[in-house]
Amino acid sequence: MGQVSRNVAEHAGQLGLLVGRSARAFATLQVSPRSVLQQIYIMGVQSIPIVLITAILAGIVTSQQGGYQFQGAVPLYVLGSIVVASVVLELGPVLTAIILVGRVGARITAELGTMKVSEQIDAFHALGRDPVAMLAAPRILAGVIVVPILVAIANVVGVLAGMVAARLTLGLGFESFLYGARLFWHNWDLFYSLTKAVVFGFSIPVISIHMGLRTSGGAAGVGRTTTASVMFMTLTILILDALFPPLLLQ
Amino acid sequence: MIQYHDVWKAFDAPVLQGVSFGVDEGEMFGIFGPSGTGKSVLLKTTIGLIDLDRGDVTVEGDSVYRGGKASLRRVRYRVGYVFQNAALFDSLDIYENVEMGLPEEELRGMKRLDVTRRVWDALELVNLEPAQVLRKLPSELSGGMRKRAGIARAIVGRPRILLWDEPTTGLDPVNTAAVERLIVRLSQELNVTSIIVTHDIQGGLEMCDRVAMLEGGHLRFIGEPDAFRQSSDPVVRAFVDRAAAMAALDEVEV
Repeated sequence: MGQVSRNVAEHAGQLGLLVGRSARAFATLQVSPRSVLQQIYIMGVQSIPIVLITAILAGIVTSQQGGYQFQGAVPLYVLGSIVVASVVLELGPVLTAIILVGRVGARITAELGTMKVSEQIDAFHALGRDPVAMLAAPRILAGVIVVPILVAIANVVGVLAGMVAARLTLGLGFESFLYGARLFWHNWDLFYSLTKAVVFGFSIPVISIHMGLRTSGGAAGVGRTTTASVMFMTLTILILDALFPPLLLQ
Repeated sequence: MIQYHDVWKAFDAPVLQGVSFGVDEGEMFGIFGPSGTGKSVLLKTTIGLIDLDRGDVTVEGDSVYRGGKASLRRVRYRVGYVFQNAALFDSLDIYENVEMGLPEEELRGMKRLDVTRRVWDALELVNLEPAQVLRKLPSELSGGMRKRAGIARAIVGRPRILLWDEPTTGLDPVNTAAVERLIVRLSQELNVTSIIVTHDIQGGLEMCDRVAMLEGGHLRFIGEPDAFRQSSDPVVRAFVDRAAAMAALDEVEV
């Protein structure tokens, strides 16, 4: 138990330091805009196809399952509300984040872990450069920018996919679907969804960078740390997701 | 010029236990020792790449561990570090890698043409053909060429001190001899102080003005190469004999 507490305290302290040093790098204008744009491209633009596929499938499945449960019991236009609420409040942000844990977070940990074990991080220090300013801060800023955009795209596409699926399989017209969607819509839901996205977009790069910079033990160490990092990020996303309703939906 | 003051460092086990010695200006200093005795750790302490448990290192009067960030920054700008496996940045081409060796403050005030000239000159100094390698990624170069590019990055900022961490490890005998000649030539041409951590005892003894041997976290020997060769210390003798036997074995295999 004592060892676990020490580990948690150590991770928390190092994460705090990483965030603080990244904030200082932004404040002192040490972060290269070119690096940020490069990360936005890698993390954001290159993730669009997988995010689209996930959102389409999530929308279709939600629509189908909702239709199966409600057919004959309640007016089918309620399905519009179910799909919109499920996608915007939960599936859009969480599935996008989980996809990015695998596609972006694992990549960052493996990349920085490899740099650590091959002394490239030491080389930054030796050359008088700050690896946090050059490697960490651009990734964190890019995450905070791109994840809300990807979640917004996932929300729209997921809802559209659900709407089309409802039309094709349940015969629910677009107007009825949209009527149901509008009936229970709260603007707050969009704020909630995007707030989640910002928090996830911050957490994924911060954890993956932190884990990457802790890597030791050669190639095997990179593999071990990447696996641990994916677990750490996934659990963090799910725990944060569980904290959101009591904080923002009451 | 460089002073190690009672340097202590332990990871899971003690690595350095109260190591103290100095390196004079213009000297070429070799550090030998069996694997795992903390040679590379000691070299890294020279520019504060590893936290110490106790002790300090001073470079031209600036403290690495007690002088604050400004002092450490001054030290790092004065020192060029050649990493064991070059440690070139994978995602940058050779031009960008070598350019990173220029101090940030200096780089900001330089014209692009001047930067290119400095990078070009550094690559020529290490016998690389700039036109052929500038736009290549490190993964597109051979091990020997990567090592030379790493040396170019270390010298492009015109350091006063060069630290060499196992500069010939992983190289074949031909490249080993070429890199050793390069180390001697660069140290003379650039008029720098060099500390070389190496497994290649024979090469090290030929290159260096003085050598030290680490054993069990302690400084076992420090002195001139001839004194090292003729040392009556049984640990030093055993190490020299083992190294000679390994060298002979290498020659037979070649």
